[in-house]
Amino acid sequence: MAKAATRGKPVGAPLLEWLAAGVGLLLVIAVIVVIGRDAVSGATDGTPDLDVVATRVVAVSSGAVLEFEIRNHSAFTAAAVQIEGKLPGGETSIATVDYVPGRSVRRGGLQFSADPRGAELRVLGYQDP
Amino acid sequence: MAVTEMLSNANRDYARGLARAFAGALIFGLPLLMTMEMWLLGVAMHPGRLLVFLLVNFVTLVGLSRFGGFEHTYGLGDDVLDALAACGVGIIASAAILSVLAIVNWSAPLSETVGKIAIESIPASFGAMIARKQFGGEDEARDEEEALRGAGYGGQLFLMVAGALFLAFNVSPTEEMVLLAYMMSTWQVLILIIVSLLILHLFVYRVGFAGQEEAPEGLGGGHVFLAYTIPGYAIALAVGLYVLWTFGRTDDTAIDQIAATMAVIAFPGAIGAAIARLVV
Repeated sequence: MAKAATRGKPVGAPLLEWLAAGVGLLLVIAVIVVIGRDAVSGATDGTPDLDVVATRVVAVSSGAVLEFEIRNHSAFTAAAVQIEGKLPGGETSIATVDYVPGRSVRRGGLQFSADPRGAELRVLGYQDP
Repeated sequence: MAVTEMLSNANRDYARGLARAFAGALIFGLPLLMTMEMWLLGVAMHPGRLLVFLLVNFVTLVGLSRFGGFEHTYGLGDDVLDALAACGVGIIASAAILSVLAIVNWSAPLSETVGKIAIESIPASFGAMIARKQFGGEDEARDEEEALRGAGYGGQLFLMVAGALFLAFNVSPTEEMVLLAYMMSTWQVLILIIVSLLILHLFVYRVGFAGQEEAPEGLGGGHVFLAYTIPGYAIALAVGLYVLWTFGRTDDTAIDQIAATMAVIAFPGAIGAAIARLVV
């Protein structure tokens, strides 16, 4: 019987087929609209706009970690972002963040032996992905 | 009464096809779903090129539906419906897996999330489409063989494109492709080209093509080489170049560097072209 349905004359596509194709079409259109907006909005190689702020200090066994947030204000992704933190006493720590996508936030931490409150944070540089 | 029964059978068969499609999406999608470069590509890739890639994928899916989709089809309209369903399965499966793996985060900007899901949905939808051959029954496999025999030389070339595209896409997002081209000497690249041609030729000549028990049309080795191996390798090279361009690896890059990377990618591409018959 099942065989007759698949092998015989087409009875028209089953309802479920239309449903699956319809859901597929909606998802495809949604994806195209979101990506298409980026495509139409023009420039594709621009400069990432990064800033870094300290969020909190956590004591760990070998000193303290200064946690930070990097925010990328532009639409362009930055890779291999280097963050430097400098204490008034001169101690310096550096961290590398693999990727900060456009309009996104990434987090990390800098480790110090002294109390890192009052550290000066800055972005040293990045690589185009 | 008989018609209603046939329709409900058709729905049940289709549901089974959809379940297979999800299984295929997982099997063929997971290697790339768990590749770091792919997540970045979804974010950093040129959006226009991503759209073109989605379109190329859709056309390939329609063609694959002809030769072995997850459901028996009756015409081009039916193939388009199946290709849409395969895209839907690919997107849903990618979104689900990427969410579980904490790679997409729904609080992130929409374009980041959608970009990642879109690029990952491509291998997943391919797997969804060819799932029937992998999990389907004997009868269906025989139908496809018939369809392919009818498709002739053009159909064989199309299958080679699909096979090359799938395998090339599976390896090319990684940094290793470019790194290999940097590391290999010119001689090693030339040897790789010869090895690719040899493997492709042996597969085509010994294993034969879809719908054919023996070497294509019983031709001699020289003829097969010219009619199938050389075009097959050219397809693998062209697909390699296309994939490199899609991922932005050709931008501001010297032509000899691009050529070497093409040869590296054409190696898996040629194998994909040669074994498309076994997989698709």
